[in-house]
Amino acid sequence: MICVDISKCTGCKRCETACAFFHTKQVSNHLSRIKVLNLYENGIDSPVVCQQCNERYCINECPNEALSIGSLVEILVDMDVCSLCANCEDACPIGAIQLFNDEVLVCNLCSGDTECIMACTEEALSFETQEENSSLSEYKLTSVKLTPSQKRFEYVRKQGIELRKTWRENRA
Amino acid sequence: MLKYGFGGKLLRVNLTEKIFKIEKISSSWIKPLIGGRTTNTQRLYDELDPNCDPLGEDNIIIFGVGPLTGSILPASAYFIVTAKSPLTGILGDSAAGGSFGPEMKQTGFDQIIITGKAKGLLYLMITDKEVEFIPATNLSGKTIVETTCYIRKKHKDYAIQVAAIGAAGEHQVLYSTIVSSGNRVNGRTGMGAVLGSKNLKAIAVRGSSPAEYANPTILKQESEKIHSAIMKHDEYTKRYNLGTTMLMNDLNSLGILPTNHFQDGVCDYIEKISGEKLANTYKVKNKSCFNCNLHCSRYYICENQEAEGPEYETLCSFTSKIGSADLPFALEMNYWLNQMGLDSISTSEVIAWIMECQERGLIQPDDLEGLKLTWGDTDKVREIVKKITFRDGIGDKLANGARNLSREFSEEAQKLVLHVKGLDVINGDPRGIKAYGLTYAIASRGGDHLRAEPFFELTNRKEEAKRRFGTEKAADRLSEEGKAALVVYSEKIALLTDSMTMCKNIGLCMDILNFENITALLNACTGLNYTPDYLQKIMNDSIDLQRKLNEKFGITREDDTLPERFVSESLKRGPTKGSTVDIDKMVDEYYKLHNWKH
Repeated sequence: MICVDISKCTGCKRCETACAFFHTKQVSNHLSRIKVLNLYENGIDSPVVCQQCNERYCINECPNEALSIGSLVEILVDMDVCSLCANCEDACPIGAIQLFNDEVLVCNLCSGDTECIMACTEEALSFETQEENSSLSEYKLTSVKLTPSQKRFEYVRKQGIELRKTWRENRA
Repeated sequence: MLKYGFGGKLLRVNLTEKIFKIEKISSSWIKPLIGGRTTNTQRLYDELDPNCDPLGEDNIIIFGVGPLTGSILPASAYFIVTAKSPLTGILGDSAAGGSFGPEMKQTGFDQIIITGKAKGLLYLMITDKEVEFIPATNLSGKTIVETTCYIRKKHKDYAIQVAAIGAAGEHQVLYSTIVSSGNRVNGRTGMGAVLGSKNLKAIAVRGSSPAEYANPTILKQESEKIHSAIMKHDEYTKRYNLGTTMLMNDLNSLGILPTNHFQDGVCDYIEKISGEKLANTYKVKNKSCFNCNLHCSRYYICENQEAEGPEYETLCSFTSKIGSADLPFALEMNYWLNQMGLDSISTSEVIAWIMECQERGLIQPDDLEGLKLTWGDTDKVREIVKKITFRDGIGDKLANGARNLSREFSEEAQKLVLHVKGLDVINGDPRGIKAYGLTYAIASRGGDHLRAEPFFELTNRKEEAKRRFGTEKAADRLSEEGKAALVVYSEKIALLTDSMTMCKNIGLCMDILNFENITALLNACTGLNYTPDYLQKIMNDSIDLQRKLNEKFGITREDDTLPERFVSESLKRGPTKGSTVDIDKMVDEYYKLHNWKH
């Protein structure tokens, strides 16, 4: 999975830009599978990308079995059977899977050669294979009925709380 | 039909009627202009009544992006705002980075032209197909960040980008700014006051129409070359660590750091206010504009203050320029100015000018409702900056800018205002950087360096100077020789950078861009078959057009000059001691190179 070190992110969106361009030859936040949030209110910046969670909320909620797990534990989308119902989008607690222009966009790890990690000059992104994936259950309850963008915002905001404590401590 | 690189659409918004219209942009119109600043200037020339009141309904304000804005080109973050300036009465424009430009690009609108005046305060929510006029009386007096957060929350989308004005813009302070991405500023020439005069608190953009590129493979290759050139640059680490605040020490070591309103070029307490001191004491992280690999902006926490910045101009403006060694105070001012929307250069000019005039006995406290300003009196500066923001009491007069205020006083006091064409000069003493002096004198928006940013004169690259500009002296900062040629070259690169669009601090100051690589980038992006010679012609035409536009505003050859201090008064100590600027010689040469007669 792609791990984010939020303390190193400057909010430049190079990952987002590289992802969209690699997959579509265009640049757009909508076309990217990794989306950067800039919280101007408190200095926190961070990309949000599929964390390959234990719960696999998106797969469980898909009525058409369009989603599956690939060899890198990434989410694979079969658009031939997808009905664009957006259940996966609703299910993800952190807004990491989203429909755009009749397509389901989620990180597929670029078949292992990850564009976003190569684009990051700050080493804020890394590829890690984990025996046990992370849980996103703590974000699930509060994410109900939020838009994907709102879910990404809440996810980054919560992560930023700890980082901001370290800033204060370092400056004290 | 424009297929590649551009959105291909123009949005016209009439605030009086609350209507909007979408027009197509043809390739025959835009090809000989490119985008960004060149297209904005052309619109202003074609559509503005030059005699209009800059703060009246008839002034038009234009937001523009270029073909490469928001692309995979590093630092392609910029957008340009253009209108008749309420501060100077001539061509006004200002560029800013961040993420507003790239998001505006996604709407498919290469230009947004706003006219008229709303009945009550409102903001515009602009997407690919729709413009909403949303009442914003509840946002009156709100900071930039408060306004941004409110709009994002209301529309449930945190990718929305907002360009807003603060209280200073609402009160039409003549040097108020537009601020986007929380902290990126269209700083100069009072564009915030123009929005304020139209009752427009903010413009919010969110798009889903990304441009297609003529040759994505070549565009990626060319962008990677730019990326490598930035990463390998000699000053990368220094610029990464300090951003533009590196200039505090750099300019001080050249004896050109404005101190006590340019009376001195050497600051004795530099170590207390330097970029290094700031980074070591208060910086917590690097920040970045869209798709930039330099990440030269910074976030700081200082006591109960935290914010992004400051840039060099703000740091110098509220330390050495006003005779203050108080770094936390400068950081407090950085927050206030950026959130309330005031230009740091023009704000500090009116303050430092009063300080000097009062020191010399040219202005008495009684002349200014009891206001007494002395060097380094930060409590008084804080108080007066707040009064300027809200046009409160004597702040109402100061809000009109140093030149306008000076007309109430003696000729001697008027001469001490350091401005060109009404725009207060930036914080670099031209007596030690002669090409910059020429740039301030000829800049089409007034006393400003960004029209050419002739950083080359500081590089000491003598052989390269001879090759490029015919004399080694072009790389000697104290010489006037070869500087017209240098400025004529770099003003074109500056204009191209503002038109494609990209960051001038990288494209120009780091000597990254040239006609050849810009041609390759533009062709891969647009497929419009540009050549280096054709780009030169487009730039020359646009520079001629800027001049013609300013002639409509009453500007003549006599206005292309410098304040008397820089021409006849030399600095008393330091590495620039004894030097003055022979401005007429350089301006004459500059006119010859442009084939301008008068």
